[in-house]
Amino acid sequence: MTPAGLIELTIDGKAVQVPPGTTVFDAARMNGISIPTLCHLQSQTPVGVCRLCVVDTGARVLGAACVRPVEPGMKVQTNSEKVLAARKTLLELLMADHPSPCARQRHSGDCELETLAKQAGIAASRFPRRTISRGQDDSSLAIAVDHDACILCDRCIRGCDEIKSNFVLGRMGKGYSADIAFDLNAPMGDSTCISCGECMVSCPTGALTNKGVAGTALAAGPDAALTAEELHKLPVFAGVSGTFLDLNRGAIVRRRFRKGDVICREGDFGSTAFFILEGKAQVSISAPIAHVKTAGGALGFFKRLTSSLVGREQDNRAEEAHDRTIPIDASVDLAYGNPVAELGPGDLFGEMTCMNFYPRSATVRAETDVVAYEMLRNVLDIMQKNKTFRAQIDQNYRRRALENHLLGVPMFAELSPDFIEHLRESVELVRYAPGQVIARQGDPADSFYLVRIGFVKITEEYPGGELVLAYLSRGDYFGEIGLLGGGFRTATCTALDHVEVVKISGDDFRHMVARYPNIRAGLEKVAAERRAANEQRLQMLENVPLDQFLSQGLMEAQSLLILDLQNCTRCDACVNACADAHDGVTRLVRDGLRFENYLVATSCRQCRDPLCMVGCPVGSIRRRNSLEVIIEDWCIGCGLCARNCPYGNINLHPFEVLGDDPEHFGRKKAVVKQKATSCDLCTHLKEPSCVYACPHDAAHRVDPRKFFGQMLGPGGCR
Amino acid sequence: MRMDRTQRGWALASLAILAVSGIAYGIYVWQSPAGPSGGSSMGLVFGIVGFGFMIFAALLGARKRVPTWRLGRAQSWMRGHLWLGLLSLPMILFHGGFHFGGALTRVLMWLTMIVVVSGVYGAVLQNYLPSMMTRDVPLETIYDEIGNVRKALRMEADALVERICGRLGLVKEVDEGQRAGGFTALRPIAAASAPLRTSAAVSAGASAAVAAQPEIVLLTEEQSQPLRLFYFSEVRAFLEAPAWMRQRLGDPEKARNSFAALRRMMPPATHAALDDLLDICDETRQLMRQERLHRWLHGWLLLHIPLSLALILLGAIHAVMALRY
Repeated sequence: MTPAGLIELTIDGKAVQVPPGTTVFDAARMNGISIPTLCHLQSQTPVGVCRLCVVDTGARVLGAACVRPVEPGMKVQTNSEKVLAARKTLLELLMADHPSPCARQRHSGDCELETLAKQAGIAASRFPRRTISRGQDDSSLAIAVDHDACILCDRCIRGCDEIKSNFVLGRMGKGYSADIAFDLNAPMGDSTCISCGECMVSCPTGALTNKGVAGTALAAGPDAALTAEELHKLPVFAGVSGTFLDLNRGAIVRRRFRKGDVICREGDFGSTAFFILEGKAQVSISAPIAHVKTAGGALGFFKRLTSSLVGREQDNRAEEAHDRTIPIDASVDLAYGNPVAELGPGDLFGEMTCMNFYPRSATVRAETDVVAYEMLRNVLDIMQKNKTFRAQIDQNYRRRALENHLLGVPMFAELSPDFIEHLRESVELVRYAPGQVIARQGDPADSFYLVRIGFVKITEEYPGGELVLAYLSRGDYFGEIGLLGGGFRTATCTALDHVEVVKISGDDFRHMVARYPNIRAGLEKVAAERRAANEQRLQMLENVPLDQFLSQGLMEAQSLLILDLQNCTRCDACVNACADAHDGVTRLVRDGLRFENYLVATSCRQCRDPLCMVGCPVGSIRRRNSLEVIIEDWCIGCGLCARNCPYGNINLHPFEVLGDDPEHFGRKKAVVKQKATSCDLCTHLKEPSCVYACPHDAAHRVDPRKFFGQMLGPGGCR
Repeated sequence: MRMDRTQRGWALASLAILAVSGIAYGIYVWQSPAGPSGGSSMGLVFGIVGFGFMIFAALLGARKRVPTWRLGRAQSWMRGHLWLGLLSLPMILFHGGFHFGGALTRVLMWLTMIVVVSGVYGAVLQNYLPSMMTRDVPLETIYDEIGNVRKALRMEADALVERICGRLGLVKEVDEGQRAGGFTALRPIAAASAPLRTSAAVSAGASAAVAAQPEIVLLTEEQSQPLRLFYFSEVRAFLEAPAWMRQRLGDPEKARNSFAALRRMMPPATHAALDDLLDICDETRQLMRQERLHRWLHGWLLLHIPLSLALILLGAIHAVMALRY
């Protein structure tokens, strides 16, 4: 006798009663009968795409149990030979395309597809494997995407849409080229994905896996690492999958600092960011604001050549940047004259260090007792994708730093408070992942950009290649040429690392240049200079030649120290002269690449594509308008430029100066601070000493294009 | 310094000075019935000019001690050193009337000639040897670093052979860290055991080959016996104390033949490693060549400089004595 409102059916010979509308899958499950499936999760709407849950209901064809509703008197076979054969074939087909073992199987051994295949006794598929890879997407900091391991079960899509209502994931393509896609097929890291992790915990295979930062979990110490439950209680993590948070356990800790404690120190390498919850901290640059200068020479007959640190007041170098602020890795900039500022609750600092592994740009010391979260980049990424948190950080920036940032550009110094107030509300803060194009050459110019975080590479395409025009860092701007000129982008601007820009709309920009004629004139001047420099570089490129010349990077150089090996007697007079001119520390090594009979010595080449500039945490290494590389006075001596120089041409020069005593807050003690130095062409001595001191006419400072032009022939440099 | 067209000005000026001095000397001899004498007015003029040239030539050493002082380009000083130093010999001969005089003057005469001849010899060497070194030693490194590079090559060879023959029982040398050499030293190498090469090899396009790791199979003791024997008897000895003579690997032709014979005895899987070993021997040979050329290039200074200083000193004594007494 069937109770009222229930349907009776038989599953594997067992009579069961279930409410109408129940699927065969659920009916079986409720009665302890397990049906294998891949695409179905209890929390999601069944879609029946994997067909692995097929059962024999006596109908003409097998039906997918997850979507097949029960019927009165239905006789279901879940493991008949026919059903098992069909499942085995399906598993073999899926395994044929599966990169076994997938990432999940390798790490935790619980890939659902591979587990089912193993249970079905499938060692190798009879079917040919996929020949074309669907690729991997490594753009997200938290989740790795392996499209090859995706079985298109759509569990991630339903997790994103139905459970989290984020609507980021979807299907793209048809048939064999079908795939999952983020937004309109953007890389995951560039999409609107908020890194909640739901797709990853829904995925049955290794297609979406957690990118746990192996081996870099923060030491818990007395401040215990936050558990997933504790994190869930924080508003910023409210929408994040618990499993995902659990997987990232240890990547965020709550730190307590006593008054006077150093939270992070300038120049140190790190991988974490800090978010202040309570208390105040002082952020400062303790390296002396000065550059290295070598004094002495023939005038001081008995005086030894000595390098000393001199500030701008004592030695105002030509074409120096007249910045009023020093950009640092926090929501504030530091004043050039007094590089100290205060951070408080709600301030985030160390983003560039955390996201891009750059050295710390400043020293942060607790001014009062401070409580802060210290986090690794995967957690920071999750936090930054949280709309509320993002809004809070953006608000802090608009309130505290935007004005400094704008006024820090000398050209914008005359912006009135009311216009800045207007911009405060109207500008957009936009983030870009490494490699993402911010503006593409030829596209309509609709915005003006100020770099807030990271480095932007400016390139121009020309027939047959691409030329790097510049690297822009915090405080630099771009987009004015297109807006002031023909309305189209003249170059492609690409995020070199994790970049954040202040985007000023075309309308606001036009309003600004109309209201402030001086700003317009200044921008037009800079635009004209940039256009001229770009044209010059393109002309250089058209004239440059030959594989060997290119492969040695010589065309990148503007000035090479070359030694004519036919003349050079290897007497080292050049090296000794360089050491003599620079306080006993040579800035050249008589070794390097050979080009024909010339040795390109290890000494600054004033590269056109100066990789040394990429990553400077305080933006102190830059180019003069004459394209020479200059290290500004606020260099903190972290040494990143020296490491970045592919030719080993930048050195660090140590000086003993009075600095903060880390042991005793407020006291000073003698500490060794470093400043980066590279070949300065002996500007204090008018001519490079290495060249001047060569007795054999072997050492020359040359423009490589002109010098090697004849050697390379008419097809080479002209 | 190369004797090329850039020397034409100094050469012509020197010839002119020599010609004028020769004519003056001829007239002076013709007008001196008693024959030329160093103590005569003309003789003194020749002596002062000759000694002045010597002092100027000797000042090059002092000039090199203060390379940053703007006292004229070092190459101008070098040209002056060469040509005026050379002219000092005829001037002194004119001064002495081609007579060697007493004991001191005889010593001075001989010293002058030795110094000038050694200088000319040095100039000739410096004219040819740099080109020779550039041609013969494409893997040239900084001279002071040769020892370190050789040690690195030895370690590289040991590692290479151990990957084929298993442990050789050699005492591991301590790598004292990065060697100098700018670009080469800083260039990231694909694997820790990948071979090192000096800069010239990199510029010659060897970097790709350097970075590629040959696939090497560990052989049984019996299979690896020929290599083991050859390595200990020939290669290791050569890498430790390379010499031109007494060692087959010191001669490029013999080295190639030896390795060719070894290749025939070893399985094909090891041939890439043998080629690498041959390259290591070639580089060691080149470094040996560099050392030798470097000694030739600078060795003559060991004679030239002390004798020049002695000449200046004795010349000063001679001048004081001659003028006073």
